[in-house]
Amino acid sequence: MSSIGEFEGKDIPESYYPKLVKELEPINKRLNAFLTISNPEGGFPFSVKDNICVNGVESRAGSRILKGYIPPFNATAVERMLNSGFGFLGKTNMDEFGFGSFGLNTEVPAKNPFDERYVAGGSSSGAAVATSILKYHVAISESTGGSIATPAAFCGVVGFTPTYGAVSRYGLIDYANSLDKIGVMARSAEDVRIVFDKVKGSDKYDTTCTDAKFTAKDKKKVFIIDQFTKGVDEKILSSFEKLVEKFKDMGYNVENREIRLAEKAIAAYYIIAMAESSTNLAKYTGFKYGLRNERFDEHYNEFFTKARKAFHKESKRRIVLGTMVRSASVRDRYYSKALKVRSLLLDEMNALLKEGFILSPVMPILTPKMAEAESLTPLEMYKSDMLTIPANLCGLPHISFPYAYEKGMPLGAQLITSQFNDYAIMDMVSKWEKDFEYRFKYNLGEL
Amino acid sequence: MEEKELSRLLKICRLELSEKEQKDIKKDIEEVVAYFDILENVDTKGTEVAYHPINVSEKLREDKAEQFGNVEGILKNTKTYRFYVVGPKV
Amino acid sequence: MKIGLEVHVALPTKTKLFCSCSTEASEPNTSICPICMGLPGAKPMLNEKALEVGASIAKALNCKTQDTTSFVRKVYFYPDLPKSFQITQTEDAIGREGYLGIDSKKVGIRRIQLEEDPAKIIREEDYTLLDFNRSGVPLVEIVTEPDISSEEELREFLTELKSILYYLGVDIEKEFKVDLNISLGRNRVEIKNITGVKNIIDAERYEVERQGKLLKAGQEIAAETRSYNEAKMSTEASREKESEEEYGFIYEPDLTTYSTKGIELAKPVFASRLAGEYAARYNVSAKTLKELVLFNKDALSMIEHAKEKHDMKSIIASVELLSKYNMLDMKKERLERLLLAVEKGVYPDKETLSKLYKGEQVEAAGDAVDNKTIDKEIREVIKKNPSILEEYKKNPKAANFIVGQITKKYKVHPRMVSERLNEILSG
Repeated sequence: MSSIGEFEGKDIPESYYPKLVKELEPINKRLNAFLTISNPEGGFPFSVKDNICVNGVESRAGSRILKGYIPPFNATAVERMLNSGFGFLGKTNMDEFGFGSFGLNTEVPAKNPFDERYVAGGSSSGAAVATSILKYHVAISESTGGSIATPAAFCGVVGFTPTYGAVSRYGLIDYANSLDKIGVMARSAEDVRIVFDKVKGSDKYDTTCTDAKFTAKDKKKVFIIDQFTKGVDEKILSSFEKLVEKFKDMGYNVENREIRLAEKAIAAYYIIAMAESSTNLAKYTGFKYGLRNERFDEHYNEFFTKARKAFHKESKRRIVLGTMVRSASVRDRYYSKALKVRSLLLDEMNALLKEGFILSPVMPILTPKMAEAESLTPLEMYKSDMLTIPANLCGLPHISFPYAYEKGMPLGAQLITSQFNDYAIMDMVSKWEKDFEYRFKYNLGEL
Repeated sequence: MEEKELSRLLKICRLELSEKEQKDIKKDIEEVVAYFDILENVDTKGTEVAYHPINVSEKLREDKAEQFGNVEGILKNTKTYRFYVVGPKV
Repeated sequence: MKIGLEVHVALPTKTKLFCSCSTEASEPNTSICPICMGLPGAKPMLNEKALEVGASIAKALNCKTQDTTSFVRKVYFYPDLPKSFQITQTEDAIGREGYLGIDSKKVGIRRIQLEEDPAKIIREEDYTLLDFNRSGVPLVEIVTEPDISSEEELREFLTELKSILYYLGVDIEKEFKVDLNISLGRNRVEIKNITGVKNIIDAERYEVERQGKLLKAGQEIAAETRSYNEAKMSTEASREKESEEEYGFIYEPDLTTYSTKGIELAKPVFASRLAGEYAARYNVSAKTLKELVLFNKDALSMIEHAKEKHDMKSIIASVELLSKYNMLDMKKERLERLLLAVEKGVYPDKETLSKLYKGEQVEAAGDAVDNKTIDKEIREVIKKNPSILEEYKKNPKAANFIVGQITKKYKVHPRMVSERLNEILSG
């Protein structure tokens, strides 16, 4: 059921928005979904992940180093939402620059609305929490390696990551340019579709943005990938098996398949992501925007180094790793190799997806508590993205949706399809929604 | 990874870490880099690199000047002196 | 001695390399946008014209045909570099493995790359001031092989290169910056950022002498980066020790790989080669012709237009005359009358020339004086200044006085007066 359609069918008084903001503010203080809250001038409310520029509104990609950066322009996706009559509600919390799977790499982490002791997921933590607590709202979000699917799964909402290049990245504060995708979180696949239709399509400000036609080819076949169930928590697996049965009931032939390069994908992904992000983060030197170091009389090297202390630990780690993998002596061994592995994985995935969809859990682990997630080593954290990375590395459209509740916490599964077949997986989730009711703990802004 | 190599990298990135941070990061990096090495045994002979996951078709911009409408908005983010942006000493 | 160059020139585009900001601006930081300021969220969009000019330069410098070209990020830190990386080209540059022929040899061109200019930086004691109008201006960098082995060749190479670039529409006065690599011994010394041909030659001269002395004294030449001090006309070790930079090139993922196949290439003009050909064919001085045409499209086009029908000496004289009064863009059909006059030895004054330029009627531009009158006048001047003959014997330049007297009075070409004078004096 489309909440956008429902909302637009109603007569919304002007007083709705200030009331909504008033309702939201105290809860946001607890959950930290929003970094800024604005009073929309009308329209269906939408939020924007903090790494996507909104004209005149502080946009800092969850980072201290960009504190105070006020973009003088709108990201294309934001511009298109505003032009379509949606109302801007605020910027949502995230792991700094998108670096994280649990939403913890930020000043004040967002909390899971189902149980505040648990993480919201990352990096689009705030977008998922916002979608999970607001009755009428969609989130413009972004994924590089799983940053939409993961928090959507943890917070029990629908998270859609389109084909790479489907939505213009103009105005997106880069994490890794060849991997970043702007996508949507909502409470239904239908809402996702409405928003995707508004924001997609060629843009003269983004070379990589495509004007391809998006299709809805139903393939009648669903693949369960061996590597996507290996190492997955038993509890998740047992409820996932029930989901698979339901897909059989929905008329899909289910087959087990392999993605030979699935595990290698993690390494290839992180090499490319870090190589690109370490160049993107070079621009933060503390004087043209954001956090400002006023000691101009310091030599530029010291000046820059001092400013760059503001990065979160995880960012520093990725800058160093990214700089290493592209340094001349090992560039072929890591950076070029990873690009070739991506090429091989693309061949493998594209061939498989020609025949059918991939269905898998989103995360191999149950939603962790804050402290549990914090205790993971970086490599353990990176590896927890094993189910979302292959699709992200290959720019494949995928959608995450709630399919069960384990001790009151939502579980998320994902459907992956071939490039440009974005509508097909929205259709499938719409079908799923007919017999499965999503649960939410909050319904702020109810009419 | 040798201390020296880490120090070199940090200098290149203009990053400065405390001794403890440096120790931690060194351990993390070693672990991650060792993991990256699993790519070594993937046979990529004759494989082209994939710079993007999709075919990015050519898009060129016509050489026609357009004034950006919000120069003031750009400069508000920075410190200026007589229209110049102030930067650190070189 | 081995000399190699990295030449940077600005491309003749209306807009910057990756954004629509104008390349022409006067007040600091007025022609800027999120892209050339490197604001978070902005993305580059490649300028079509820059790609065209780059490909044309590559063709003019005999580069191997590349089917595609792409860009890389070169990461380094400096206040004038807004993104802390420069978008430039390496292996996949627009031009590779070309050459430029000079008199004595072919100088290899290793690479021709498109790249963005950093901002303009003004160094103050306690800070810097930055003007981002220049940030993102398209540059082409031409990297040569170390094939140049004398000052002579260096000068010739620079002149030829500038001429070719000039004919491709590059404003060679706008920016012409060179990094000069010189090695007399084993180690290479790089002198960074020299502007203009004169400084380049001076720097080369100084550096060759410096390295020569060191070698003679049996000393090692340090591989280093130096800078040129214009005031002292010397090179000095760069103050700042190059901090360890590791450019860490990666493919520019915000752009794509561009095909060079469909690009309409400008036809290169090798003015120097043409001047040489005409000089031989029409028996005139190659040097004079080159001086006229190397950096002057109008002059070359006039010469080409008239060369079949008129005497080359008169053409040259006419072009010189028009050039003197900035009238080289005269319509070709109006050129005829001027050429006829000059051929007869008549040298119109500014006023007459201006009328010819505008296509207005002039009274008998072609029949003002004949040899007889001039001979008479010459004799007259000599009579009035008898000492001039003595002076002339000591220094033939003294004849200039006589020529001057006569050209003041008549619309006649000085060369014609000199010829008559020579005849009288020798006869």
